[in-house]
Amino acid sequence: MSNYLPTIGIEVHCELKTKTKIFSNSINGYGQMANSLTNVVDLGYPGTLPTLNKEVINLAIKAALVLNCKIRRQMHFDRKNYFYPDNPKNYQITQAETPIGYDGYVEIEVNGKKKKIEIEEMHIEEDTCKSTHRGDKTLLDFNRAGVPLIEIVTKPCMESGEEAKLYLEKLRELLFYSDVSDCKMEEGSMRADANVSIRKQESDPFGTKAEIKNIGSISNVKLSIEKEIERQAQLYDEGKTFPPQTRRFDTKLNDTVLMRVKETGNDYRYFPEPDIPFVYITDEQIDKVKKTIPMLPDARREKYISLGISEVNAKKLVGHRSLSDYLNELLEEKIDFKTAGNLLLGDISAYLNKEEKEMKDTTLTKERFMDLVNKVSDNTLTSKNVKEILDKVMTSEKSIDEITKEAGIQNITDNSAIIEMIKKVMEANPESVTDYKAGKDRAIKYLMGQVMKESKGTLNPKMAMDVLKEELNK
Amino acid sequence: MNNKLTKEEVLHVAHLARIKVGEEEIEKYQVELKQLLNDVDKIKEVDGYDEERMIAPWERDAVLRDDEPGEMLNPKEVLKNAPRHSGNYIAVPIVISEEA
Repeated sequence: MSNYLPTIGIEVHCELKTKTKIFSNSINGYGQMANSLTNVVDLGYPGTLPTLNKEVINLAIKAALVLNCKIRRQMHFDRKNYFYPDNPKNYQITQAETPIGYDGYVEIEVNGKKKKIEIEEMHIEEDTCKSTHRGDKTLLDFNRAGVPLIEIVTKPCMESGEEAKLYLEKLRELLFYSDVSDCKMEEGSMRADANVSIRKQESDPFGTKAEIKNIGSISNVKLSIEKEIERQAQLYDEGKTFPPQTRRFDTKLNDTVLMRVKETGNDYRYFPEPDIPFVYITDEQIDKVKKTIPMLPDARREKYISLGISEVNAKKLVGHRSLSDYLNELLEEKIDFKTAGNLLLGDISAYLNKEEKEMKDTTLTKERFMDLVNKVSDNTLTSKNVKEILDKVMTSEKSIDEITKEAGIQNITDNSAIIEMIKKVMEANPESVTDYKAGKDRAIKYLMGQVMKESKGTLNPKMAMDVLKEELNK
Repeated sequence: MNNKLTKEEVLHVAHLARIKVGEEEIEKYQVELKQLLNDVDKIKEVDGYDEERMIAPWERDAVLRDDEPGEMLNPKEVLKNAPRHSGNYIAVPIVISEEA
């Protein structure tokens, strides 16, 4: 296969986290009985009028801000006219002419290099009803009809499936952390379409475009783009051309397949929606929204690393929002953040997963957590101790001291007692002592094991190891 | 100036509106639709047509609604208005087909 330059643009639809729909006061919900979350506006009954939800504008401003978009101060909505059963009004209310956000970007890191993925525009629109195709019927559920969406359109500026994946991961993280959307691709609250074309070299015009619709996961976006590039390259190699087309990613075939939509006609005859007058956005409103944006993922990672948390753990913490939010409440405190991060990602995460709980469901207050961190940090408690008492720590209101005492944990922190134990072990294992002195490093591990056994696990391993080395080197 | 739409233009508009038109109707609409377009063009000649856009029949800006849930319809009532349903879903003839 010859080499081609791929050009990729991504369109993302993201459902906004509001209580009610964009143009009606029925509930914006997921996973409910079909057609149970609707009213006359959502169903497009004659004579009904749209009423614009204030929160939609606020969330869209927020999204525009975190995506570094410029914000339009005067805008209106437009009707996109088409006949299709997913929309009984026969038009979708969208923003064709005056998208709320434009000229933004999201920064990603490709092979260690930063790249700005440019956002052409971001507009507000209503979701259509959900259609499911079964046999000779299409089934319609209007619970989704009128759910507020933002559509985010990039410029054709990506060059690989990997870049598209990195962009989507970053976008999801930003919209999720700013509470704009829950961004669940598996539930359809975030949906991606990819436009893919290839050409021989940069000076050539863009190749024929294929649009891959509604891909259900970020990894499948990457895969479907790679498969599509391959397919187009093969056709060009064979000297063939092809018409622009809409395709779909088939998870069973792991490939894109042609989608035949009956009744096409991309002649949407947009015109301004006369039922919704101009919407104006003021500086005050933007400032007010700005204040509601919590610390964003990049800033969190940076902060954690500056506090001594490893890069890997900083990434993991940001990947687990409730842990990251919990830690963020302690940022002004003087604690050992490395230990705090280890505890949160280690034993505490394991506990939360096992019990299917979130931090807020436990009794681990900030104060008790800091106490635990300090005790691990100064070696009062070993990691084995933490495992022993964690259930109690997460469920009871008692202090860490009390729990430790009740568990019968009495760690030996007295040096002379440790030395005594170590001397006993050394006397009982003279060969290992000789081996160690002869340079066999493995011998110390054996001796250490014996020391821990002798102490019945009441020693702090790090302390014991230090003393053991000291004694052996005498 | 041409005083008629082409036959193709009429058929295109008919398709977008999902209506069937007979041969005689096509000829009639070639003239009538063109006349309509000409009338609209006259409005565009008004001074300042492009300057001050008016999108709604009043000048106030949009009044926004608080994000508070209201009453919804009973699904049974909703399904009553659909010609066909399958369980709680409204059913329509299949609108999509694919080839691998």
